Amino acid sequence: MKLMKTMVVFLLVYSLFLGGQAYGGEKSLLFHAGLGQRGALNEIKGIFEEENPDIKVNFSYKGSGYFIADITRSKQGDLFMPGEEFYLMQAVERGFLTDYDPTTDIPAYFVTVIITPKGNPKNITKIEDFAKPGVRVGLGNPKSCAIGIWDEKTFKKAGIWNEVKENATMSAKCIPELGNATQHRAIDATIVWATTAVLYLRDVEIIPIEQKYRGIIRLPVGVLKFARYRDEAQKLMDYILSEQGRSIFHKHAYAVNSVIPVDNQGFCLDGTTDQDMEYLVNAAKAVKDESFPVTEETVGDLIEEVLRQRKTTRAGD
Amino acid sequence: MALKHRGGWWPVLCIGTTGIILAVYLLLVTSNWIYLGWHDTLYFFSKSRMWERFWLTVWTATVSTSLSLLIGIPAGYALSRFRFPCRYLVASIIDLPIVVSPAVIGAFLFGITTRFPFDWISEYYGIYIGRNVYGVLLVQFTVTAAFCARLMKASFDMIPVRFEAVSHSLGASPFRTFFKVVLPMAKNGIIASMIVVWARAAAEWEGLMLFVGATEGKTDIMPFAIYLDWNGGMMGWVTSMSLVCILMAISAISAMKIIGGKSNVW
Repeated sequence: MKLMKTMVVFLLVYSLFLGGQAYGGEKSLLFHAGLGQRGALNEIKGIFEEENPDIKVNFSYKGSGYFIADITRSKQGDLFMPGEEFYLMQAVERGFLTDYDPTTDIPAYFVTVIITPKGNPKNITKIEDFAKPGVRVGLGNPKSCAIGIWDEKTFKKAGIWNEVKENATMSAKCIPELGNATQHRAIDATIVWATTAVLYLRDVEIIPIEQKYRGIIRLPVGVLKFARYRDEAQKLMDYILSEQGRSIFHKHAYAVNSVIPVDNQGFCLDGTTDQDMEYLVNAAKAVKDESFPVTEETVGDLIEEVLRQRKTTRAGD
Repeated sequence: MALKHRGGWWPVLCIGTTGIILAVYLLLVTSNWIYLGWHDTLYFFSKSRMWERFWLTVWTATVSTSLSLLIGIPAGYALSRFRFPCRYLVASIIDLPIVVSPAVIGAFLFGITTRFPFDWISEYYGIYIGRNVYGVLLVQFTVTAAFCARLMKASFDMIPVRFEAVSHSLGASPFRTFFKVVLPMAKNGIIASMIVVWARAAAEWEGLMLFVGATEGKTDIMPFAIYLDWNGGMMGWVTSMSLVCILMAISAISAMKIIGGKSNVW
């Protein structure tokens, strides 16, 4: 009896140590990434781990607002890819990221689009329609998410900010709330990133915004100062910035053109993103209408996303 | 102990209120199930991802509940039976994790795990403490241990002290008394509390959100996965996983009733 007890204790302690060592045997990167990048980054992780069997990528997905507290407190992590450049700049200001280069470290961009519930009940076709009386508008809260800042910028540029504020029935803390509210017909129109809109192809209508009001949002990535495996982290970052990495982002409706001309506020200056917008509108049609042709010409790189959402009525997988 | 029905409006009102709340809960479940649809239910329930997350939730909650019981039973007994200095102060400190938000616990855990000696351990083994499934267990344990001690105290409070006194007078040591007299008598209460603690552990995610973060397939237990998928607009996963959570809760409660759990809350 006593022998058995000793053995059990011994085995327990031993397995703890063994477990620790097995864990330390491979190089595992801790990657702080915004929730919104989950789809694209999981795909990148799969390919990267296959190409580099000795490196494991562990994501720590959170809302972008949580990161700076985590990193300040824990001083842990190899890579950082929050949902907006703003959050990365917070880390740069605090000295957690020393070699960030805004000209090269942007693998992808968000583009703003209008979404409405299926059928577009209030017949929204352009930014000015948000000011029409009786339209229930969803806005983001500028204190907690970047879409809120863009709402204000866009509607101020159009000169209808006060009317839109009157119409607003929702102040969202994060961008998926706007998508979910539109899906459930709680609001009539809102502005979101194309990457958010593409998640709701079956339940929303997507309306591209005309160029002068179309926002382009930079999405940066960086290696943290206290990275444990700096070389491996750099390798993953290089992969994300490579042509192949960018193409994965493109499959999830990010804009990945290397140069998108914008004015000093971040609004589009030319038609670089027009093609992507057309693909997005077609993708929304293709999921709702089984007879719509799904090819490279109609939906571009969104093929996989369309086929995924065609499989079920309620998005998943 | 049911009262004989004597007519009148008051019993009818009470039963009617119960009926309304029951209808509301049933409506919540059925409307969401209808929203999901039969085809999608089958689709999502047959996905391995669903059941991997299910097992992850079940085993992490079970391990952390076991650890909580190891602490909670002696602690609950001590709080219930022994007089020691600053007893009320100790009791209220132990109650803290029940009354403060689990988010606070998640934030505070950083304070321990990034300091001596844990920073040495994480450096030596090349791991990040709390960024893996052990972090999940740590959060669940920290949140539920207090809960467990509190429930155990309630269970032990229900047992009259007389039995222990008799056992002592017959020459049994306190250790023997505890295992031969108190523990068997508290059995039903302990089982009932265990299920509550287990459910609490399986439902924890605020602390995880702050302290662990989600690594898919490794740390995303069901409530956390539901939140992640909600953020990803995956309504199908959100609804189907919520249904699995409900089924899990129903089976846990029934299991407890079957093995005879009983306390003053059940």
